[in-house]
Amino acid sequence: MNFFPLWNSLRIAAISSVVVFFVGIFFAYYISKLPRWIKGIIDVIFTLPLVLPPTVCGYLLLLVFGLKHPVGQFLDSIGVSFIMTWQGGILAAVVVAFPLMYRAARAAFESFDENLAMAGRTLGLSNTYIFWRIRIPACQSGIIAGIVLAFARALGEYGATSMLIGYMPGETATISTTVYNLWSTNRSQEALIWVLINIGLSAIMLLSVNLIENRGRRKKVA
Amino acid sequence: MKKTGLVLTMLGAALAATACGPAKEDETKRTKLYVFAAASMTETLQELEKKYEAKNKDTDLVFNFDSSGTLKTQIENGAKCDVFISAAQKQMNGLADQNLVKTETRFDFLENKVSLVVPEGNPKHILDFGNMCNRLQAKEDGFILAMGNDDVPVGQYTQKILTSFGVMQKTGDVYSFVDPDVEDHHVSYCGNVKLVAAAVQESSVSCGVVYRTDAFSNHLVELTQATEEMCGRVVYPAALISKTKQETLGKKYLEYLKSEEATKVFEKVGFVALANN
Repeated sequence: MNFFPLWNSLRIAAISSVVVFFVGIFFAYYISKLPRWIKGIIDVIFTLPLVLPPTVCGYLLLLVFGLKHPVGQFLDSIGVSFIMTWQGGILAAVVVAFPLMYRAARAAFESFDENLAMAGRTLGLSNTYIFWRIRIPACQSGIIAGIVLAFARALGEYGATSMLIGYMPGETATISTTVYNLWSTNRSQEALIWVLINIGLSAIMLLSVNLIENRGRRKKVA
Repeated sequence: MKKTGLVLTMLGAALAATACGPAKEDETKRTKLYVFAAASMTETLQELEKKYEAKNKDTDLVFNFDSSGTLKTQIENGAKCDVFISAAQKQMNGLADQNLVKTETRFDFLENKVSLVVPEGNPKHILDFGNMCNRLQAKEDGFILAMGNDDVPVGQYTQKILTSFGVMQKTGDVYSFVDPDVEDHHVSYCGNVKLVAAAVQESSVSCGVVYRTDAFSNHLVELTQATEEMCGRVVYPAALISKTKQETLGKKYLEYLKSEEATKVFEKVGFVALANN
């Protein structure tokens, strides 16, 4: 049995989670400071990928990054391609997982007690220090929830991924596209193995989240 | 609370709107005839749908287009289906072996050809099947062939072509790549012929293998057609499904598909009609 899809799914989900973490926090922080009406508009745009069918996201991504379109052609000419490459899987996963991180982080930032930041400022701390050492730790649980949801969404991405990178057995196959391909070619037994692997992965993930949360709670009590 | 109420009202209104949608009076009397047809027949059968329904006001054609392999699985699982048109004998034989088709209604309907197609401008400068196979074997960087998977008729024809050039091999009934690296890094599998066509159209791959009718309907650049020596004849059989309750309507529809009017539409895109009246 070839374990490439497991490795590929994990690297796509991991890298896209890291990207989504930074991009999501960045936008959540700066947008929570904007005037209300702009916030409303941007919020809708950033949340759209969450409610749109993944095939719609895939179509739009192809419209931009496809090799028939200017942006895609330019990127291809400098050696970057998101079409039929595993990196394209990261792009698809980032787009669909971003809203989860963004919304979780924004909700956390909005409930943050600004007095803490001001207290830091009176002590002469830099904004960067306040952000990473006061704001983020205080919003920890919301942010962790966001990362976990984003990772799970990235791991399960199918629609946009299959449109962007297809199914190449040793190049772009992920667990979800492998399950579909094996099932559609009457290899249900092999598909079942991948289904079980995926269930196992997801269970481990949720378990570790619970562990982290419990640890956090115990710390607070102590 | 107020908000929830509003949302629920809107949902209710939306549901009501769909429920009493555009139900024309004459449509209520129409009998639905479920036609499961190979994906490569999408355009032609849809074109004929209007003509047929205009002449037969009692029938409402309901189509399900997908790879013949998927359709076969759906029929085996009890999907509601009256007429089955397959892109290869294999799937029809499979159903016949389980007594799921009315054998007396089965006939060879159309013949098609398998084509090598490339994106606009042929960016990889592919010449023909031989050239494509050489470059697959050489594992040329970035060279990708889109083909139907092994449950899809066009994928099975592609396997035969690749075997005739030594890229694949046949052991018993099973085809496999001589060099697994070629499959792993240079083949993109698609779930039906239209998905192969879409990948080529989108320039996502270097080339693809489809039917000549898809090359025509999807305006693809066709390089060459496979010969009978490469992949055998490509024949589409049609038949009624055993469980059908619409035998008369189904037979009438199959007869119509053999008519001159229908034949013209099929031949326009490159099919050869095998069962002219």
